[in-house]
Amino acid sequence: MSEAMVKLGASPEVDHGGGWMRRLNLGTAIAGGVILGAIGWFFAHHFTDSTDPRVSDQVTLITLACWAIGFMVGIGAFNGPIRWLTGRDQTHADEMFLAGKDQGVSRYFRFTTDHKVVGIQYLVATMLLLGCGGTLAMMIRTQLITPHSTFLGPQTYNSIVGLHGIIMIIATIIMVTGPFGNFILPIMIGARDMAFPRLNALSFWLLAAAIPVLLSAGFMGGIPTGWSGYAPLADQAPPGMDGYLMAIIIFAISSAVAGANITTTVLTMRARGMTWNRTPIFIYGTVASVGLALPALPMFMSAQVLLAVDRTVSGKFYDAAGGGSPWLYQNLFWLFGHPEVYVILVPAVIALMELTPVFARKPLYNFNAAVLGIVGIVGLSVMVWAHHMYASGWAPDLNGPFMLTTEMISVPTGVLFLVVIGTIWRGKIWTTIPMMATYAMLWNFIIGGVTGIYLSDVPADYDLHGSMFVTAHFHYTLMGAGLTGAIGALFYWFPKMTGRMLSHKLGLVSFWMVQIGFNVVFLGMFAVGLAGQPRRVFTYDHMFAVGNFVSSIGAYVIGLGMLVLLYTVISGWRRGPIAPSNPWGGKTLEWAVPNPIPLENFEVLPVVISDAYGYGEGDVSPGHWVEPAEPLEPAHAGAGAPDVETSTVPLQEGRAE
Amino acid sequence: MTITTSMDDASNRARRFVRRRDVRQVFLLWLALTVVLVVFGATVPARLMGAGASPSMHAIKNTMTLFSIAAAPVAAVVWAIALYSLIAWRHRGNTQPESDGPPLRTNKPAAVLWILLSSVLCVFLLIWGLAEMGSVDAAGATSDAMVVDVTGQQWVWTFSYPQEGNIESDQLYLPVDKPVVFHVTSKDVIHSFWVVQLGIKVDANPGETTTTSVVPDRIGVYDVRCAELCGLLHADMETNAHVVSADDFNKWVADNGGQSS
Repeated sequence: MSEAMVKLGASPEVDHGGGWMRRLNLGTAIAGGVILGAIGWFFAHHFTDSTDPRVSDQVTLITLACWAIGFMVGIGAFNGPIRWLTGRDQTHADEMFLAGKDQGVSRYFRFTTDHKVVGIQYLVATMLLLGCGGTLAMMIRTQLITPHSTFLGPQTYNSIVGLHGIIMIIATIIMVTGPFGNFILPIMIGARDMAFPRLNALSFWLLAAAIPVLLSAGFMGGIPTGWSGYAPLADQAPPGMDGYLMAIIIFAISSAVAGANITTTVLTMRARGMTWNRTPIFIYGTVASVGLALPALPMFMSAQVLLAVDRTVSGKFYDAAGGGSPWLYQNLFWLFGHPEVYVILVPAVIALMELTPVFARKPLYNFNAAVLGIVGIVGLSVMVWAHHMYASGWAPDLNGPFMLTTEMISVPTGVLFLVVIGTIWRGKIWTTIPMMATYAMLWNFIIGGVTGIYLSDVPADYDLHGSMFVTAHFHYTLMGAGLTGAIGALFYWFPKMTGRMLSHKLGLVSFWMVQIGFNVVFLGMFAVGLAGQPRRVFTYDHMFAVGNFVSSIGAYVIGLGMLVLLYTVISGWRRGPIAPSNPWGGKTLEWAVPNPIPLENFEVLPVVISDAYGYGEGDVSPGHWVEPAEPLEPAHAGAGAPDVETSTVPLQEGRAE
Repeated sequence: MTITTSMDDASNRARRFVRRRDVRQVFLLWLALTVVLVVFGATVPARLMGAGASPSMHAIKNTMTLFSIAAAPVAAVVWAIALYSLIAWRHRGNTQPESDGPPLRTNKPAAVLWILLSSVLCVFLLIWGLAEMGSVDAAGATSDAMVVDVTGQQWVWTFSYPQEGNIESDQLYLPVDKPVVFHVTSKDVIHSFWVVQLGIKVDANPGETTTTSVVPDRIGVYDVRCAELCGLLHADMETNAHVVSADDFNKWVADNGGQSS
């Protein structure tokens, strides 16, 4: 570092900044969590009534809460506020340290505020969670390969079903807005970082604190309730349930912090000239997702707080014998649960919508309709929750109105299809992996959408509710469209995020394995669901044997395909071909910054003069952006001491003063 | 004057549009896909659901068939364009296409038509669903309906017949062609009372009684399953529903010490 600085003529006795933060990293975070967790366990153990049947839940919850607080202390999440309170607010050098300046790989293991670091952290966390959830899925399908398999006992099987569900829900909520919403979004809108960089780091490290809590559930009796955790079954469940609810509480805080941050960033930090009709559609999709999560996740969190009270001190919120109601849990849960599926689906589908013009070499078709489609889905999605409760017996008079709102949502969803096929229409289709993901989405999401319409019909739902048909339906939407979209987005933005290309050939292998395997699994599951197989069963009637066998074989094909994908990502990251700064010929701003991306992204902030979809308009379209004659705001990193990461880029005299 | 001109323009544009070779080929592809999907939708879902044993289940199967047929042309539009684009408009090679596609930004008639048609379809499905829901929910709403009390507990079903001298059974017996109302509750956690071939399902909630009703119309042995994860042996919480003739039902009641009403 000093060499580079001397070469560039910077002052050698520069304040490195950071203070205490220099000593804190993932290691101290784990140490802090373990130490405070142990202290919490000790006190909880000694000051609770050991004859109380709820004592193990009390001890578990206190221990897990202490772990999370200790972890956040250990990573340094509280240093900023403490310094501010004590009147020693961060200096410029401190902020540069926090942003990860000159720290190499170690910045990924710290409370680093640079949005690009947070994006990579989210990407790795997503892959880790998908790996865990996928492994559990393989175990589920192995149990179900024959009608009376003894591979897992019923207790283990039920726990694994719940763990698979909740791990996948968290993984898919973050899989687009986490990696790409953090890494790509600020650059795409022409910003140097997020509006609240420290909150950005906070949101990731809260997630990091929640992951061990969630996984710990697997070692404390699991989550034998399914991921929905319906009370009063959840009141009976072992302490694994406490891991589940504590993980959700922490994740909800993380998600609220991230949502407020991304929304504020988009509202306030778009480049000059980036009016709403020049803002790329991916920005809309991301804001829709995190904006929808803002009111939705607190519902889930509230449901879990009440459950915690029920479990620790017999709060009886959900206990009918004590004056509570199991329908209360279901309502809170689905007030979160249905918006949540759009939290997952919208950014993934919109990411594909963002990249489709690039690979069809055509403008995004009907931008306004796309925006209206997103707005319509977001608006309606908070009014459909009780379609999960048609058969619950709660308020049957509302079944009609909820059927109305649910079926109405097919109209804005249809608009999104129109936008994608309109963009493809007469395009120059360049079938890269991201574009193939768009096609796979068109196939899978139609099936997921149409089967959703069957389920929206009240009488049909009387038959299909709680059956494997429902499981197949939401996998077609969340995996077939959602995860497929995230994989497309990964292949699309990986060259920008890592500076390296992913292998197209390996990508093809994993794409076909995953997509074919996926359709085999879930078409088979539709069949057994229609024939009457309930979900979440570890054993089933012989009449469902063929469908289940086929599904399990398909699942192994997905599993192998995912391993190929993992290998593709790891090998591409380590030694893939160096990516040009704009490998796909995209027009959005992230393709305008060089590889590797300078610490503060733009040396000179761009001015946006048109939207980013002027394909085929070479003679008429002025392009998406220009460099202003007078720089708007100089980059910090360029002021006096150019950053090492930028030193490969020739400095332009007079640009950064 | 201007209106006439713009309408002429529009009809000219439409005429040019339908004369395009790719438009005609996409149309033929759409037609073919629609036919395939209609045939699929008209046969496969209902067949997979097996033979129903109540008017409710027949209505549900008809709905599945109708919705599948209604969805066929919509899915076919999307898939036909996707498929055709991969055949006819695909850029061969591994590098970025040298030229861009035509800069078609929007097409108001197409968007309006798309939204209008999907809204009409949506309204149609809703009206169909409401009518069907009315008939299914009213299935057992007659004064002569037989009452069966259903109790779920981990992990068995118990059926009690208050009008037949409160006899109890762990198998469900129903006389054919007689309306029956189920009063469903639970002793512990939430279960869901599902008689697959009768097309009825309602949750069994602790502390609450929910109802559902049906008129079984075919003699046979059907599956009662639990459709809500209820703990360890949820998968085994199954029993049989026997739909029998009125005489056989009375005999069963008498054999179990009850009196026929």
